[in-house]
Amino acid sequence: MLVEIIDVIISGMINGSVYALMAVGLTLIYGVSKAFNFAYGSFYSMGGYVAFMIFGAHINNYILVFCLAAPILFLLGYLIEKALVAPLRKRDDWEIKVMMITLGLALFLDNSYQVIFGARMKSLPTILEGSIELGDFILSYQDIIIFIFSIGGILAFRWFLNNTRTGMSVRAVAQNPAGAQIVGIPKEFVFSATFAISTVMVGMGGILLAQKYFVTPMGGWDILVKSWVITAFGGMGSIKGSLYAAFIVGMLEAFVGWHFGMNWTLIALFAVLLTTLAIRPQGLMGKWG
Amino acid sequence: MDHKRIAIVLAVIWGVVAILPVFFGSTNLYMHILIMCLIWSVVASCWDLIMGFAGIFSFGQVAFFVIGAYSSAIISAKFGVPPIFAVFAAGVVAGGLGVLVGLPCLKLKGAYIALVTFAVHMILEPVLKGDIGRAIGTGGSRGILTIEPMNIFGYTFLSSEPIPYFYLMLLVAIICSAIILIVIKSHWGTAFLALKDSEDFATCLGVSAFKYKLRVFALTSFLTGLVGGFYAHYVGMLSTRMLGIDLFVTLMVILVIGGVGKFPGAIIGAFITIALNELLSPLGPYRPIILGALVVVLVLLLPDGIIGLIQKILPKKNNGLPIES
Amino acid sequence: MIQGLLNAIWGMLMIKIENLNAYYDDFHVLKNVSMSVEEGQIVVMLGPNGHGKSTFLKSICGLVSKVKGSIMFNGTQISGLAAEKIVNMGITYIAENRELFPEMTVLENLKMGAYSKSARTHEKKNLEKVFELFPRLKNRVNQMASTMSGGEARMLAIARGLMSNARFLAVDEPSLGLQPNLRDEVARIIKEINIAGITVLLVEQNIPQITELADQLYVLEEGQITFEGSKDEALGNDHLKEIFLGM
Repeated sequence: MLVEIIDVIISGMINGSVYALMAVGLTLIYGVSKAFNFAYGSFYSMGGYVAFMIFGAHINNYILVFCLAAPILFLLGYLIEKALVAPLRKRDDWEIKVMMITLGLALFLDNSYQVIFGARMKSLPTILEGSIELGDFILSYQDIIIFIFSIGGILAFRWFLNNTRTGMSVRAVAQNPAGAQIVGIPKEFVFSATFAISTVMVGMGGILLAQKYFVTPMGGWDILVKSWVITAFGGMGSIKGSLYAAFIVGMLEAFVGWHFGMNWTLIALFAVLLTTLAIRPQGLMGKWG
Repeated sequence: MDHKRIAIVLAVIWGVVAILPVFFGSTNLYMHILIMCLIWSVVASCWDLIMGFAGIFSFGQVAFFVIGAYSSAIISAKFGVPPIFAVFAAGVVAGGLGVLVGLPCLKLKGAYIALVTFAVHMILEPVLKGDIGRAIGTGGSRGILTIEPMNIFGYTFLSSEPIPYFYLMLLVAIICSAIILIVIKSHWGTAFLALKDSEDFATCLGVSAFKYKLRVFALTSFLTGLVGGFYAHYVGMLSTRMLGIDLFVTLMVILVIGGVGKFPGAIIGAFITIALNELLSPLGPYRPIILGALVVVLVLLLPDGIIGLIQKILPKKNNGLPIES
Repeated sequence: MIQGLLNAIWGMLMIKIENLNAYYDDFHVLKNVSMSVEEGQIVVMLGPNGHGKSTFLKSICGLVSKVKGSIMFNGTQISGLAAEKIVNMGITYIAENRELFPEMTVLENLKMGAYSKSARTHEKKNLEKVFELFPRLKNRVNQMASTMSGGEARMLAIARGLMSNARFLAVDEPSLGLQPNLRDEVARIIKEINIAGITVLLVEQNIPQITELADQLYVLEEGQITFEGSKDEALGNDHLKEIFLGM
């Protein structure tokens, strides 16, 4: 019993850490440009497929895979923002239109994956075999590495936001776009760059989780919904809020799944989310406006 | 567009649609497609009313449609209610749930509303498939396989003879579009325009945002649920497959083609999109790819849909008065 | 050759604007505005609220998307350039509603003021200058901008503008919402900035302390320049007296 509970806690923490990485990406786009990206889940799968292709080219080192996948994902995200989202920003009702175009993009991407890679799930090799065993209790190296990579990614990103000029300009645009323009920050570039960074984040999440849960053409929807719930739960645009919310959601999911069965996890998530929003419409740490 | 023009356009559309069976009546498949066009034209118009006019990012339209369809099927099967009454009961169920969803939603801001309403969509599948669903009579993941066909005063509409059902649906669609037109024309419509411009200002004028938004939530989910019921009794079987992203995007394509907030564009959009979808169906897995690409291209190139395009081509009436700022 | 000729004609003119038109959506806000600012001057533009003063400054700074006409800055056409390019050339806008970054500290706000390429190398020097001019900000470097009072935030907005190493400041109603004693301080600071060699174009409603600073006055009404001249000339103009001085 005790071992089981510890197992559940650990699985919640590990999933929570990857969720945090992905939710921070989603909240970042919303916080900076007020755009909502429906294709976010498709970028998750994209990460998995990009890694799958890199492995297909007989590159078997995960460090190399990350180093190759990150710029590819960044470039794809950047181009997609420039081509599809940026032109809409000047129009009336652009928020609805961004949702529509990214939803169209999601349908396009997911079905393209299906045609290109087939509907069957693809697996990625385990990052590191083996595990630590303490009595009854087993912790795989894979899980440890997933946790370290996710948390490391978030910390690196936080450092970037707080300590580099570019990172600060991202915060500036998020806090006051007009003010950012006044001091000479190229707003359009920041929008595209944050979109690209978030693509890298969710894509990396995709690669990390693909070792455990495989890559499938439609697998991104679950991730989109979870990242979305976490983002709203933590407060849209609040990175700290997303962090806390991601771990809460990871834990909740693990416990509900363990005690009631996986069918109930989504229902439980929404129940918690709705209760939170009913009490605090702006989420845990969100602000109005 | 002013209201008179909308009414004229509506009359022309429905007039043209009413004579379509003359050309397509001999082929059941074509009539089936036309019935689907009518059904989706109502759902899309409702979505347009709530999103385009009321400015509420509701993403639960398909969910309310499915709720209506299941409710009607279950009510007619379990309680022996004749389908024609069951569909209204289904509308009431969907409308009631719409109010329930609307109550917490309307205190939220744009993207949050989208999330909560889409959440309803997302959890509907596990609910309908799971223990709760089976207890109500959804048939779990198998779905409902036999649904009583629609019958009115002893006349039974069979899907093997779709022409009568087509006219029944046409009547439903005409009534629904008339209701939507009346709403847009009434002080609701004016209130929404004011709310969209500046919620704070409109609130100052005494427009209760909450009240109007809740009403529009109730109305659109009622109509959507009602049409969902008509759909259920027409196709005769239901499964949670409808909740897949495909249908959701199709509905969105309708709105993109018709133009957001450009009623009755959604009706024209429905006919074009559903027909297009059928044309593309031989392409198999490439169909959703093309559909997705189409959304992307149309949002970029046709910002206000067909109606917007027509308005641009037709000469504008004098609205270029210089206004002092 | 032509460029040289043009420079000779303009001489010391820093800003030369000809037939500037600006639009917000379908509103035609500025109508054929022509004016110029000499280097080293303080130019004040007066005008009632909502007649296009802010739009005018924003047009110069590349913050209005629909602009027609010519804006020359030291002989270079800047009309239609992106805001970040204009900032980089040495023109900075100081907004009437301050437009600070609420969740950044005073120091971070100031650092963001030196974002443009031309300002980065001078960041340290400018920071010292700014602290000299606004000693109160120095004690509050770690305070969040959102927690500052209206007057302090105004000072921070001006200080942030100075961090850009600008040669030309476009200041939008700097005394808006300030108490009279703070207005005096704003006027003093603008004078000091000007003495340090920065050209200033100010728009205001009629605030005596500010108007007093002007080397040259313009009046903008309904998107058009209706008066151009010195302070004394303005005092002799009955129409102006009526609308601004209530005499």
